[in-house]
Amino acid sequence: MHKRVKGLAKAAAVIAAASMMMAGCTAGGGGGTGAEGSPDSGELSFVYMGDADQQKAFNALFAEFNKEYPDIKLKAVGIPSGNWATFSTTVATRLAGGQKIDIIQVATEGQRLFASKGILTDLAPYIEQDQDVVDDYWSDISPNLQKFNEEFASGPDGETVFIPGGFNTMAMYLNTSVFDKAGVPIPEDGNWTWDEFVAAGKQIKEKTGAYLTGAGSGYFVDVMPWLTTNGASTFNEDWTKPTYNTGEAVESAEFARSLVEMGLAPKPGGQFDGNTAFKQDKLATLNGGRWPVLGIRDMDMVDKTVVVNWPTQTTNGSPVGWDAWNITKNSENKQAAWTFIKFLMSSEAGEYFAEIGGTIVPARESVANSPAFTDNAPEGTVRLSEAMSFATPIPSIDQGAESQKVIEEAWATIIAGQGEAQKTLDAAQAELESLVGE
Amino acid sequence: MSNDTIEARRPGALLQRRRAEAAGWMFVSPAVLLFLVFVAGPFVFAIVLAFLKWDLLTQPEFVGMANFERLFSDPELPGVLWNTFVFAFASIVTHLLFGLLLALAVNSLISRVVGYFARVAIFFPFLISWAAVSLLWKYVLDPTFGYVGQYAAMVGIELPNFLADPAWALPAIIFIDLWHTLGFTFIIMLAGLQTVPSELIEAARTDGASSWQIFWTVTLPLMSPTMFFATIITFIGAFQIFDPIQIITKGGPQGSTTTIIMYLFEKGFQAFDMGYAAAVALLVFVIVMGVTLLQFLGRRRWVHES
Repeated sequence: MHKRVKGLAKAAAVIAAASMMMAGCTAGGGGGTGAEGSPDSGELSFVYMGDADQQKAFNALFAEFNKEYPDIKLKAVGIPSGNWATFSTTVATRLAGGQKIDIIQVATEGQRLFASKGILTDLAPYIEQDQDVVDDYWSDISPNLQKFNEEFASGPDGETVFIPGGFNTMAMYLNTSVFDKAGVPIPEDGNWTWDEFVAAGKQIKEKTGAYLTGAGSGYFVDVMPWLTTNGASTFNEDWTKPTYNTGEAVESAEFARSLVEMGLAPKPGGQFDGNTAFKQDKLATLNGGRWPVLGIRDMDMVDKTVVVNWPTQTTNGSPVGWDAWNITKNSENKQAAWTFIKFLMSSEAGEYFAEIGGTIVPARESVANSPAFTDNAPEGTVRLSEAMSFATPIPSIDQGAESQKVIEEAWATIIAGQGEAQKTLDAAQAELESLVGE
Repeated sequence: MSNDTIEARRPGALLQRRRAEAAGWMFVSPAVLLFLVFVAGPFVFAIVLAFLKWDLLTQPEFVGMANFERLFSDPELPGVLWNTFVFAFASIVTHLLFGLLLALAVNSLISRVVGYFARVAIFFPFLISWAAVSLLWKYVLDPTFGYVGQYAAMVGIELPNFLADPAWALPAIIFIDLWHTLGFTFIIMLAGLQTVPSELIEAARTDGASSWQIFWTVTLPLMSPTMFFATIITFIGAFQIFDPIQIITKGGPQGSTTTIIMYLFEKGFQAFDMGYAAAVALLVFVIVMGVTLLQFLGRRRWVHES
């Protein structure tokens, strides 16, 4: 009997050791070199964030790629994680679990994390190999996007590990039928101030009973727009120091709280369904980047919606986050991966994706200004692309998920009326400082 | 003389015994294999992991006892453990109390049809996934549009913002958990009640005992093993609570609903600190083992075992 127990223990130890070896071998793959493979054949694994709504568009894009490269078997895995922090965690877990991934589409919130771990290939040789293609791409995208990519998403030694793709800025989608009923004019040039926004909200509330806006605490969609339109942010320009408790940041948070207090936004702490309320004319504005367009199309509200800039206190502002593509060091098929990235960089792919319902602003300005992007979209859609000129990259330190939690938690506390703004942001600031200092 | 010696002298007995053993192993092998792969292996792996610093993406680094030392200096951990114990204690009390009351009520129903209906109705929420239940209650408790707030407003009562108020969020989660999981405790209690011999109750009644006396001196003592089982199961389940908190409050507001498994998840899969997360997991194991052991040690004081 004793021997049997020992045997079982041995078996358990063997399994544990095997698990460890598997994890150890695959973790990060920092030392992995992969292989070049063939540029027009082989298997390719591409991981991206995409929920069920976006899946159709992605699948169509992949089918388009396969028309041109039928011998590249593209295994695309959409992770419906809802936010980029969760996406990064999911991908990291899969890598640790030994999953082979050739390309990871990462948004700003996760780029520094992946870049800092040394798991991505230096793209310089590939760029050199197809310099004309890359030059054509650089010349057609916002210089800001290229600059942000260099500043915030380079590898540990400054190498280019990401090619930036489409992006999202923040804007407001106005329900023209609510504005008309309330007799509130739509901001003609797309610009309005916080005061004008509140005045509009009060009139809308009085005349129609509709809410002006939602009250959330999402880092990108709720916190950053109010900060950036008041000249504030969560971190300084190079993300080395948190700035979440400056006077401007406190003023922004207090303003967001005042919208709830005035009854212009529903109380937080429940499950407010913005899309349904928008459709029913019970909500005057939807906030978002490009992604609300899918819902607006589904609700048949395209003609009743206008896109305007976020209301301002001191200056036009918006956070911006962008997709970026890389090749992992472990990729066994780097040439095929580069072929796919080149496809994603092309005007054809950009136009096709925009037409079939992509949820991002195309990186190529020629595409963002073309009917592929502006047709079947609310009036003023091009403002999303223009916002890149005044946008601030969403600060995303290595400890992205933790800092996001701190930022959102503090904001939620303030807008729910559970904490005084200055005190709450001071506490959050201290936590962020400790994260940066780690 | 041992049995082995006797069997060995019988021709073919040893072979027969070996065959029987082999058959036994064959039958249990799927379960043993699953246990090794999904329980024992990960457990040993967690122990090893607790000695490492590992962010999933780069090579692990051996840090000795550092992760365990951190458990004692982590300023967040006491609050997290407090939340978890409050939740677990509240779960045990409410589940046992309401589970028993409902079981007594249903057991005393004369109409079979009503009895069946009551069983299904009470057990039904337990069949719904936590994800659906969580979203449902987010709607119900919405401070502006939720049914609870709206009905309360109709009779002039202003309710707190349950899920956004640190003082109310944990009680709200406790209530939601009770609503969802009570059916399970109820079924256990009902099964326990039905094992109480009716002869004993009849005898007590013949002796002139009141309903309360029958319950206190006959039913409750005979139900105590069932209640003991329910206590253990409820405590372990409560200590593992994660889904509703992740979906409804994400540990907030202000950390008021962050329980130990939520904290473990945050450390492992948000802070990419797998070593410390493993140390927290081992702490959970020690606590659950310790409390369960205490429950077993204390059972003689209140569990009727004859």
